Amino acid sequence: MNVTKSLDCTGLFCPMPIVQTKRELDGMNSGEILEITADDPGFEKDLPAWCRMSGGKFLELKKEGNLIKGYVMKK
Amino acid sequence: MKDKMTIILFSGELDRAIAAFTLATTAAASNMEVTIFFTFWGLNVLKKEMFALSPAQKLMQKMFNTMSTARLPISRLNMLGLGPWMMKKLMKKSGMASLEDLMKLAKQLGVKYIACTTSCGVLGLSGENLIGDVDEFAGAASYLSEAKDAKVNLFI
Repeated sequence: MNVTKSLDCTGLFCPMPIVQTKRELDGMNSGEILEITADDPGFEKDLPAWCRMSGGKFLELKKEGNLIKGYVMKK
Repeated sequence: MKDKMTIILFSGELDRAIAAFTLATTAAASNMEVTIFFTFWGLNVLKKEMFALSPAQKLMQKMFNTMSTARLPISRLNMLGLGPWMMKKLMKKSGMASLEDLMKLAKQLGVKYIACTTSCGVLGLSGENLIGDVDEFAGAASYLSEAKDAKVNLFI
């Protein structure tokens, strides 16, 4: 996967990882991929849910220990 | 057309306000148009200074605005103000956003604030007692006209 940008949201709780994901994607171009790293357990469900509501295409989610890495493509 | 969400914030407690603004900012970040209608104790969240007093207020209005202030309690275990202090400490330590952060974010994301004119009238509050972020002063009909088209309507 060709990641265009990475966003570190570790240490942040809901709603911040989602809000920051939105802001970061706003500044990106269609087709670019954002990688978000978070450690709020809720992020695992929240990221795909947010993508269903708004302007991102959910690609995949990886778990590395406590860390969740989410990948979203800007539509 | 964008989906809409409305919240009536009736309560003036820190924990309830945080819940309201967490949902408001998330919805606004999810491509929704969000309106918060502040009424009764919810107006405390918008007070510019701790005591929203003005010379025009009647004695009982002054009493209300002295006893119920912008220093928000929490809805359980307030313990005369120890509760909110502990809660804020814990939130900061765990990295959770504060109410101030969430309110700043809400405005940046375009959340609309309506202050209830009836509550303002009863409590003797005017625009000068409230923060400049208030977009409108209006009543129940304005709220309902927004809520009628909204998919999510909450009373907190």
